[in-house]
Amino acid sequence: MDDFDVIVVGGGVNGTGTARDLAMRGLSVLLLEKADLANGASGANSGMIHGGIRYMLSDRHVTALACRDSGYIQRIAPHLLFRIPFLLPFTSRSEARTLAERAAHYATEVYVGTYDLFQPLKRGKPSARLTPEELYQLEPGLRPGLHGAVTFDEWGIDSHRLCVLNALAAREHGAKIRTWTEARELLAEGGRVTGVRWTDVLTGESGVARAPVVFNASGAWSPGFARRNGFAVRMRPGKGVHLTLDRRLSNYGVALTAVDGRQMFVMPHESESIVGTTDDDYYGDPDDLEATHDEVEYLLEGAESLVPSVRRARVTRAWWALRTTLWEFGKTEDALSREHAILDHASEGLAGLVSLVGGKLASYRSQSQEVADLVVAKLGRPTRPCRTHEEPLPGGATVPDAGALAAAHGVGAPIAARLVYRHGERAAEILRLADDDPRLRLVLCRDEGIIAAEVVFCVRHELVRRLQDLRRRCRVGVGACGGSDCARAAAQLAGRELGWDPEQTRAELADLLELGWRERRAILDGHQLAQEELLRGVHAGVGRP
Amino acid sequence: MTNGSDASSGGAGPVAADVLVVGGGMAAVMAALAARDAGASVVLVRRSPGATALSSGAIGVAPAHGATAADPFSGRPGPVDSARRIAAARPDHPYARLGVAVGRLEEALPFAAARLDLLAPYTGRSRWIATPYGSAAECALCQRTMAPGDLAVAGPVAAVGFRGHLGWDARLVAHGVARLRAAGAPPAEAVEIDAFRTEAGAVAWPHELARALEQPGAAEETGARLREALPPGTEVALFPPVLGLASQSSVCDRIAAAAGVAVAETVADVPSVPGLRLDQALRAALVAAGVRVVEGSLDEARGPSAPVIVRGLEISAAAWVLASGRFIGGGIVRRGALLEPLLNLPVEASEGGAAGFHLARRPSASLTQRERGAPQPLLAAGLRVDDRLRPVDTRGRPVHEALFAAGAVIGGHEHASDGTGLGVAMLTGYLAGRYASGR
Repeated sequence: MDDFDVIVVGGGVNGTGTARDLAMRGLSVLLLEKADLANGASGANSGMIHGGIRYMLSDRHVTALACRDSGYIQRIAPHLLFRIPFLLPFTSRSEARTLAERAAHYATEVYVGTYDLFQPLKRGKPSARLTPEELYQLEPGLRPGLHGAVTFDEWGIDSHRLCVLNALAAREHGAKIRTWTEARELLAEGGRVTGVRWTDVLTGESGVARAPVVFNASGAWSPGFARRNGFAVRMRPGKGVHLTLDRRLSNYGVALTAVDGRQMFVMPHESESIVGTTDDDYYGDPDDLEATHDEVEYLLEGAESLVPSVRRARVTRAWWALRTTLWEFGKTEDALSREHAILDHASEGLAGLVSLVGGKLASYRSQSQEVADLVVAKLGRPTRPCRTHEEPLPGGATVPDAGALAAAHGVGAPIAARLVYRHGERAAEILRLADDDPRLRLVLCRDEGIIAAEVVFCVRHELVRRLQDLRRRCRVGVGACGGSDCARAAAQLAGRELGWDPEQTRAELADLLELGWRERRAILDGHQLAQEELLRGVHAGVGRP
Repeated sequence: MTNGSDASSGGAGPVAADVLVVGGGMAAVMAALAARDAGASVVLVRRSPGATALSSGAIGVAPAHGATAADPFSGRPGPVDSARRIAAARPDHPYARLGVAVGRLEEALPFAAARLDLLAPYTGRSRWIATPYGSAAECALCQRTMAPGDLAVAGPVAAVGFRGHLGWDARLVAHGVARLRAAGAPPAEAVEIDAFRTEAGAVAWPHELARALEQPGAAEETGARLREALPPGTEVALFPPVLGLASQSSVCDRIAAAAGVAVAETVADVPSVPGLRLDQALRAALVAAGVRVVEGSLDEARGPSAPVIVRGLEISAAAWVLASGRFIGGGIVRRGALLEPLLNLPVEASEGGAAGFHLARRPSASLTQRERGAPQPLLAAGLRVDDRLRPVDTRGRPVHEALFAAGAVIGGHEHASDGTGLGVAMLTGYLAGRYASGR
C-alpha cells in the first residue's frame, strides 16, 4: 500500500461513512484506525438515529438535517433500525398542577407538535397527547401522579454495526481499511500534505502511505493528533455516560428530567434498558476515560424519578464516550451546538488536510457527503456522484423474515431475529455456515442470541483482528453476564480462524475481560456484585501461569 | 432429634441444638461435620445450595506463592507450607488471622477427604490439574475423577476433544500442558474423537454433555472411539470435566475400561459439573453424619443469645457458626455500602493498602483497581475475625463469645479467584465447628 487519492484517519461513523462515499465515487481510499471501528463516540452513544428534537429551537437546521438523513439511513440499512416511540410525561411538584406547570405542559405539547412537521422526513409517526389513564395503560411502572404525556417517534440503531457496515461497503468498493493501525505522523511538503506514516499497533509493522488529500476524522482524538502534527483542532469534548440495566423496564422510551433539570431518558433495547446520559466537559486523555460513582448515581437518581424500578434492576455496565462538540466559551455543555464544522487546514501550511468536528450520528451520511464533495473539489477531477443515500449497506437490500429463517435452518426464533437485526439479509449466509457445520449452531449467548456461526462469519468477513472487536460486531462479552458463557468459546473460535496460538488466545481473552471490568468498576452493587464474583471465578484460570 | 433434611418444618416444636450452622456450602458443611464429629448436636439452616455448587469442584488451598511455570512441581511446597507462606505475606488473609491454627489444615484436609467420598485421598502434597485454558491448577484435594491427571506424576497425556463440540478446545489444553514440561509435566498431545455431532445442536452446555455421557452405552462408545484415536504411548486421556452428573457416576471408569487407558477430568470453568457433584457430596455427608438440615432463611436473627425462627420452626443453639458466604451466598451484600445482612456485623474493606470498617461505605470504584487481574479489595471484603474465628466489632472485640464465622463471609481473600477459597472454607469451617462444639 502506498499511493491513494485520499487517506481517512479514524474509523468512526464519519471516517467510515466518508470512506464509503469516496470509494463509491471511484476514488482510491485508505482508512486508518488506531483501534477498532466504532471504538469511540460512534459506538458508545445512545444508539438513536434521532431527529434532534432537543436542538429544534437552537439549531433548527440540525433537526431538519438529522430527520432527512434518518430517512435515508432507514432506506440503506432497514434491518439495523427499530422504531422507538418516546413518552414525555407531564410532571408536577405537588398533586395539583400549578398554572405555570400547565403552561409548561402546553408549551411542550406545542413544541412536540412542531417536531411533527419534521417527522415525515424520517417516516416518524405524529405525536399523540395521552391522558393519565392512557399513559399508565402503556407504562404501568411509571411513578404515580403524572398528568399524562405527549409522545414522539424516534429510531434506534446498533451504531457499532452502522460503522462496520460503512467500512465493509467502502472495502467492497475498493477502499483499503486498516484497523489497529495508527496514523503516527502527517507528512507534508511545501505547504501541502503528502501522506501519512502509519504503524500497525498489533504487529509493529510501519510504513508510509501517500495521498494529496487527508481527512482527519479522529473525533475526540483530533486535538491531540493535530497538536502532534503542527495544526489545531479546537473542540469542547463532552463526556457522556450511559448505563445498561439487565432487563426491560419499559415498553417505550421515557424522556425525563435529571436532578439538575437536564433532559435524560430510559430506553428499552432488546432485552435490556439503557439510561442516558451525562454531559460534562472533559480535559483528560481520551484513551483514559471511565465512569465515576457520581455519574452513575446521577443517572440512577434521574431515572428513578419517573421509573422507580430502576433501583430494583441490576446495572450491568456503565459506558462512555466523548462528544466532539464545537468549541465555544461561555456556554454550558448542553447549550453547545450540535452542528458540525469542516476545517480546512491550508492556512496552517497543510493544504489538502481537512478535519471534521462536531455533528450527530443521525447526520453522519450527509456530513460524509459534505466532506466527500470537498475532497473531490480538492482533487479537481470528475468522479461519479454521491449515491450513499440510495445504495443499501451490506445486508440492507431486503430484510428477511426471521421466523421463516428460523424454521428453514432449525434455529430458535430469537436467534434468527437477532441475526437479522445485526446482519440483514446476510443472516441467511450465517445460517448456511451452520447448515454446513452443525457444530456452529452452538449457542454462545442465549441472552444476546449469539451462535458460533455468527462469530465465525464476523471473524472471516468483518475486519476482525482482535477478540475485543467482536464486542462491536456481535456483542460478545457485553451482555448481562459479562461473558461468562461466550468469552472463552468466542476466543477459541476466533483463535482457530485467525491462527492464534494458545498464548495469544489467552491474551486476547484477558484483553476482552479487561474492557468489561472497566465498565463495571463503578457499578458493583447489589446483585451485580454477586455476578462479578461468579465471573471472576469463571475466568480465574485466564491469568494463571 | 431426627436426622436428615427437614424441608417442611412448619408447626413442628422448638428445636434445641448445641450448634446452629448458617449456610449451605463447603464451610457450613465442614463446620457441621466437625461439630458433629466432636459430639455436638447440629442444626444447619440453608436457604439454597451454597456457592460451592458453582465452584470448579477441586480444592485449592494455597497456590504456591511466586512459583513460575518453570519451577518443578516436585520442588514446590505442599499445601500447608504454602498456606503458612500466604499467612506471612498477607496479614489480612484468614490464614494469617488464625495464627498457628493454620497448621491444623493437616487435620482439616484428611477429615474432609474422608467424609466427602468423591474426593481422592489427601497425600500431603498438591496435585496439578490442567485447566481448560491449558494452565495447571494447584489442588490440595481433587475429585477421584481428576486425580489420574495429576501433571506432576502422570505419564504421557492426550487432551481429548469432541469433534462435534466447539465449547472445549483440546489443543489449548495440550499446548498449555506441553509448556509445563520444565516443571515436570508429561508430554501432551491433542486428539479429537467423533462424538456429539448432533443435528439439533442440543448438546451445548457442560451439564448436557454430562447427561449425554450417562446414557446407556455412551461411555463405552466414547471409550471405543478413544481407543482408536489415542496416540501410541498415551497413559492418561484428559477429558473436559463432564464425565457424569452424579457424584457416584461410573462414566469415567467405563470410558477407561473401554479405552484401555487411564481417564481423568481437567478442572473446569465455573459453574461446573464437578461443582454440582461436590454439592451433592456435601449434602450426602450431612445426612450420613446426622446433621439436621432446615431449608429456609433466618429472619430477624440476634445471634446465639436468642432463639431464631426459620419457616415456623423455633431453633435455639448455644453456639452459632455463620457460614453464609460472600456476595453469591448473600452473607455479605452491598446496597450503597457493604453490610452483613443477618446480624448487621461490621464489614471490613480495604483501599490502597489500608483496611478498616469505615471503608465499607466507599464507592465501589474506589475499592477496586483499574487492572482486572490486580487484587480487588472490594471482592475481598467481609467480616474480620479473631484467632478463634469470632467476628469482631469496630473496636476489635468479639461480638459474641459463641458466634463464629467460617468461609467466604470472612474477608481478606478473594475466594472466587485467588485460589484459596475452598481451602479457607475447609479450614475455617472445620475449626469453627470444633470451636463451636467446645473442642
